[in-house]
Amino acid sequence: MTKTATLRRKGSATLLIVVLIFLSCGGLVSLKTAVDRIPRKKIPGASIIYIPSGKYLKYATFGYSSLVADLIYLWAIQYYTTYTIVDRFQNLEHIFSIIAELDPRYTDPYEIGALIAVNEARDLGLALKILDMGLAKNPDQWIFPFEAGHHAQRAGDYETARKYYEKTMRIPGAPDIAKRLYAAAGFRTMDLEESWKIWLEVYNTAQDERTKKIASKHLYQVKSTSDMNLLKGAVQQFRDRFQRLPSGLEDLVRVGILASLPRDLDGKDYVYNPKTGETKAPSVWWKR
Amino acid sequence: MKIRAIALNTFKETIRDRILYLLFFFAAIALGISRLLAVLTVGDRVKIIKDVGLASISIFGVLMAILIGTGLVYKEIDKKTINTLLAKPIQRWQFLLGKFFGLVLTLFIMTLAMGLIFLVIVLLHTGKLDSRMLLAILFIFLELVLITAVAILFSCFSTPILSSIFTLSFYLIGHLSWGLETLIQKTRPGTGRMALRGLSAILPDLENFNFKTEIVQGLAIDPRFYLFSALYGLVYTLFILALAVLIFKKRDFI
Repeated sequence: MTKTATLRRKGSATLLIVVLIFLSCGGLVSLKTAVDRIPRKKIPGASIIYIPSGKYLKYATFGYSSLVADLIYLWAIQYYTTYTIVDRFQNLEHIFSIIAELDPRYTDPYEIGALIAVNEARDLGLALKILDMGLAKNPDQWIFPFEAGHHAQRAGDYETARKYYEKTMRIPGAPDIAKRLYAAAGFRTMDLEESWKIWLEVYNTAQDERTKKIASKHLYQVKSTSDMNLLKGAVQQFRDRFQRLPSGLEDLVRVGILASLPRDLDGKDYVYNPKTGETKAPSVWWKR
Repeated sequence: MKIRAIALNTFKETIRDRILYLLFFFAAIALGISRLLAVLTVGDRVKIIKDVGLASISIFGVLMAILIGTGLVYKEIDKKTINTLLAKPIQRWQFLLGKFFGLVLTLFIMTLAMGLIFLVIVLLHTGKLDSRMLLAILFIFLELVLITAVAILFSCFSTPILSSIFTLSFYLIGHLSWGLETLIQKTRPGTGRMALRGLSAILPDLENFNFKTEIVQGLAIDPRFYLFSALYGLVYTLFILALAVLIFKKRDFI
């Protein structure tokens, strides 16, 4: 009888504990929900200043440096897409240089870091710095100077773009388009001689008709621009000498300013407007 | 009464533990270093002192709770002293709660001592004391109470090494579980999101006891947050202790 009572008491004690477990579990879930509902002022990323440089952090990763690089990269993506942090770009270089030190061959962070810098922070210089870092650590990766050239070109800095496309061309495995972009950027910076040289090389080495056609169009553009510059200068000389515009381009040869009149790549004469003194190519280069 | 007697005995036992003093020694050094680190910084030195100081109290407190707590019950079972104890008119839950309160008392004294050193350093540096720093220390202590309960829970059925790993994992999960919220926001509504919500509700959120950043930066905190966080800590501790009691009740010592 006493044994049965003891067993019953033990059984009810267990039941009581189980009930307590369920009740407290329910309680903690509701309290967690209540706590989560209360807005909490935070300073996201306030701890960034405590992250040491990657060089030193590497020692603290105990051989898991690429894992830590992954984690910092994942965190960085979340952090830099939190638009409420106004000054989030302040440590952009610091964060991406940490990732670069921890895992130098991890190419995505350089590209994404540069994208964030150029599109979000509107800082082309910073984007180029991050991509330069990528190239310094991965000299065999053409993607870094290529991306840098692309960002510079989009920003209208053709001189910088040209410099990066030239670097891209030199790296084995770089796509053919790098050479064409280099030539196009050269044209934009008015280095017509170099641009002609490269476009001609593209034309002569093109493996397909499409590339050949593109090169041919650009060659036309470079030549016509160069010729029109020559004609513009000659017209100006004529005007200085005779205080009037020439009535035709032939006048420039007749008075000895030019030895002969240049013709476009198709052998056609340039179109001259005697009223304005302007010259025009007979064809639109990209429509040829 | 029985719980009190066991708690006092546990307290006496734990304050004799050399590891406690070793950790306290390192905590004191870390607190002192916060002053040194402040010299190296450019800008707000007080922020560095407060950040490093509060972090030291928290980290060394957790180490004390884990390293002592995980061995408390296991030692009794391993040395068979539990048989002598339970032969007396003591219930198993009383024994467990006694152990828990004994360690909590030790941790309270240690937190108090570390807190005092920290406050003296801040006072010497700034000439004034922010009462909210006491709140930060109080919530660190609440976190330690929960960690102690977890350490005792694992100590009921596992070896000290495994228990330490489990408790440390609990601590790390507790401080990283807030990241689940980001994952929830980026997951499409459906079963996956519901499962993540469920996981987020049940996993410990130790960030609820972390007011270090707000207090150091002087940010306002909703008083309800303190209240609900404290209640959350106490209920979570109760939940863990109930689990520990249930496991310990079913445990066979022979």
